[in-house]
Amino acid sequence: MIRTIRMMVMCHWSARRIQRYLDSDPAALLDDAEIRRLEAHLAECDKCRAATIEYRQIDSALSRWAARRMPDPDSVTHMHEVVDRLVRGDLQ
Amino acid sequence: MQAEGFRRYVEPEIEVLLRVARTLAGASDADDLVQETLVRAWRSVDRFDGRHPRAWLLTILRNTNMSMHRRHRPASVDDVASFANARPAFGIDPSSTEDRVMDSFLTEDLERAVQSLDAKFRTVLLLIDVDQLTYAEAANALGVPVGTVMSRLSRARDRVRRHLRPTFAAAGGHR
Repeated sequence: MIRTIRMMVMCHWSARRIQRYLDSDPAALLDDAEIRRLEAHLAECDKCRAATIEYRQIDSALSRWAARRMPDPDSVTHMHEVVDRLVRGDLQ
Repeated sequence: MQAEGFRRYVEPEIEVLLRVARTLAGASDADDLVQETLVRAWRSVDRFDGRHPRAWLLTILRNTNMSMHRRHRPASVDDVASFANARPAFGIDPSSTEDRVMDSFLTEDLERAVQSLDAKFRTVLLLIDVDQLTYAEAANALGVPVGTVMSRLSRARDRVRRHLRPTFAAAGGHR
């Protein structure tokens, strides 16, 4: 019983940190102790491990949208020309 | 000197600006928005301290978008569809076999899941997971605190995951 409750508490704690763990964004890094605690939980909890895998797959699929949608090269060229015209004083 | 600095700050960020502009204003208005952003950046470059050029430019982009009287209109249905269906650009590494298998399960369902999100959640998801901004950069682009970005992102991903749960279950054998 105690073990089950402890597991539920850890699942709740982990759910609030899994995305930050996967993102490693500089604005919201987990500290070393949090990372160790989370990884230990993921090693023993199938449900949280499955959630982590699913988030990772979603992130991976979305990041591939980016690779397939590079800006139009003509637009990039045009913007570089805009910069050229601005620094030459041709565009105000 | 001013011209040199301006090029150094702006040129590496042009592709990011075009991506973010498409997410915020839609594909048809992205070029106009970025061009006007560059013009405004040039006018204010002498007041820029040179730190964090991307954050500086994203703030100008957001203000320009607002002052052009365009409501924040995150990627339209057509835009999302074009993200998902476009062929890989030349030179992009092909995905791994495992990724391709998951892609075959995920593509259409993911597109539907993203389309079904409220605009404010979808925009954050696209800015961070597709346009590859950091939390702080997305906060600059939207004019909201980082905590708001994190909360919207978390809810967006939770909803997408919930939407895809049957897909993940069906693909169980491939994971």
